Amino acid sequence: MNQESSTLGSIHVSPRAIATIVYQAALRSYGVVGLSPKNLVDGISHVLVKEPVHGVDVHYDGNKIEIDIYVIVEYGTRIASVASSVKNTVQYHVEKALGLPVHAVNVHIRGLRISE
Amino acid sequence: MELNESDPNPAENIETFNRRPLDGLTLKKLIEAGLSWLRTNQQTVNALNVFPVPDGDTGTNMVLTMQAALDEISNSSERNFGKMAHAVAQGALMGARGNSGVILSQLWRGFARSVDNQEALNAANLAQAFASARDTAYKGVVRPVEGTILTVAKDIATEANEALKDNTDPVAMLKRVVEAADLSVQRTPDLLPVLKDAGVVDSGGKGLFFILEGMLRFIQGQSLETPLSYVQPLSSIKIDETMTMVEPGQDYELVIDFYPQGKLDLEGFYKHLEEIGTSIQLGEGDGMYRLHIHVPTENKYVPIEYIESFATMQKVTIENLLAQLEQIQNQEKDSQINLTPIEPGQIAVIAVAPGKGIGRVFASLGVANLVAGGQTMNPSTQEILNAFENLPTDKIVLLPNNKNIIGAADNAAGLTVKKVAVIPSKTIPQGLASMLRLSPHGNFDEVVQEMIAALDEVESGEITQATRSVEINGISVKEGEFIALLNNKLVYASSSLEASCLGLLERGHAEHFELITMFYGMEMEPTVVTQIEDAVRRAYPMHEIEIKDGGQPHYHFIISLE
Repeated sequence: MNQESSTLGSIHVSPRAIATIVYQAALRSYGVVGLSPKNLVDGISHVLVKEPVHGVDVHYDGNKIEIDIYVIVEYGTRIASVASSVKNTVQYHVEKALGLPVHAVNVHIRGLRISE
Repeated sequence: MELNESDPNPAENIETFNRRPLDGLTLKKLIEAGLSWLRTNQQTVNALNVFPVPDGDTGTNMVLTMQAALDEISNSSERNFGKMAHAVAQGALMGARGNSGVILSQLWRGFARSVDNQEALNAANLAQAFASARDTAYKGVVRPVEGTILTVAKDIATEANEALKDNTDPVAMLKRVVEAADLSVQRTPDLLPVLKDAGVVDSGGKGLFFILEGMLRFIQGQSLETPLSYVQPLSSIKIDETMTMVEPGQDYELVIDFYPQGKLDLEGFYKHLEEIGTSIQLGEGDGMYRLHIHVPTENKYVPIEYIESFATMQKVTIENLLAQLEQIQNQEKDSQINLTPIEPGQIAVIAVAPGKGIGRVFASLGVANLVAGGQTMNPSTQEILNAFENLPTDKIVLLPNNKNIIGAADNAAGLTVKKVAVIPSKTIPQGLASMLRLSPHGNFDEVVQEMIAALDEVESGEITQATRSVEINGISVKEGEFIALLNNKLVYASSSLEASCLGLLERGHAEHFELITMFYGMEMEPTVVTQIEDAVRRAYPMHEIEIKDGGQPHYHFIISLE
């Protein structure tokens, strides 16, 4: 889907691949303790996902990448700061890996984990 | 030079401190000290920035977080250590800024939790609190990255535990903890390759070290105001290779290699140099020191004389940063313009541009090729043809951007087998407005319609000098006067460039538009451009105003109103 063309041929990057980058970047962000499936019935939102595509949505319309990410945050952290740091980290890693500008990263806090 | 210690008798201070219980009030004092010392060294921490990491202002973020913690307790006279620690943690949590701030607040949270309701702390409690801080901080992330503030927190907890085995004095423990933190920070590049590549240590870890060291310095009665005079390994000194701007007072960059005679008094050294210049860095390797400093012109030899007074100099390099900057800017002007590569089958736009700057703006909007030309330098049909004949697509859009070139563009369109549409853009602003509507993969006819429609959405203004005296549209112009053309019609003339710019904006009803873009020409002096920019900003304070280097000849300004 994400394409880059040269005289030798073209390069395609699938949303799933981008989702994996996002997933890895998010899990390295401080305060994020997991990702949560995006379409969840209330009540089972404590289920953390191991599969990147479930907690990450990647939209690409031909010239801009938009990412939605659904996270569980550690209770007791300042959520605004954690979210903005997730946003920055994800944007940085995706842009670094793909060389394509990320138009938006929307961070959805799906829950808090209390680890006492 | 002799070392001039500022603390009169550190040992006595430690003793007095040891006689005081480690209670809430003491903690408050320590927090204050940690924050002061961190703030003093804030820029040092900020400078440890692995550009372009997301969290690039660690020092500031940590200071703001600690400030929030202190604000929370500033009016408190709580004697209970545990309660005070909880207040600190609460403040840090509320004020946590950035990644490092969040981790710092978690450390405080863990620390506070372990000392819950204790009146005063002993060494064993303290070691426990450090361990709890570490555990809480590690819980906040799925994949902890080692070589960061987390690692430093871990090493601190380990050392505190070790110290407990040898001594039961909290101050002695803090001393060892600070040393361990220092070592741990120095090891961070070995754990995290990105730090090693950038030649820096971890900024968050360094910030944490400063907080703890500030507490220790306070106990030892050392100053918390004087910035840290520290020596780094020679290899980690950063000498600016390219400067994008020169701040006032940083006209010259000096790098001096020297061998001091005897021991170097760092605090005195830094103190002295700070009066001379800025951006001071000191490196050491094999007994040789390297000083890096930026100084204003009048001080360019002062550091040399100063260092000569106590050291043997080996090498001095002086660079004129202003001249260097000018050179870089000139290089940028002449640098290549990056055109958009064209895929087979997509629509390619060829624009005629009278200057490099304007060409660059067109390029940034995605034109496939540029033809140099404009008023008094019309490109030939052949030149236009050459610009697109070799492109790997047969859908071509031409933007002549001047009414005298539309003819040549039409001719070129007739001479090729490719499908060519000429957008009758008569001015640069029209061309740019039209360009914004390009969708390279769209339906050719529809895109062309869109691009033509865009021509009327922008007002184009030009400022130039009259080559002869004339009277047009009831405006009399004397030779050499600045004349304003609105959509190619003469609307204003004045002997002042500024007045004719403002006159043009007024006649063009700039007040009805939102964005004023001004491209200045190749002959314009930067100071004059700034003057006019100021005048325009004063006249239209609510407008968005963009000033760009157009590089066009003859026209002092090309102005678009959108």
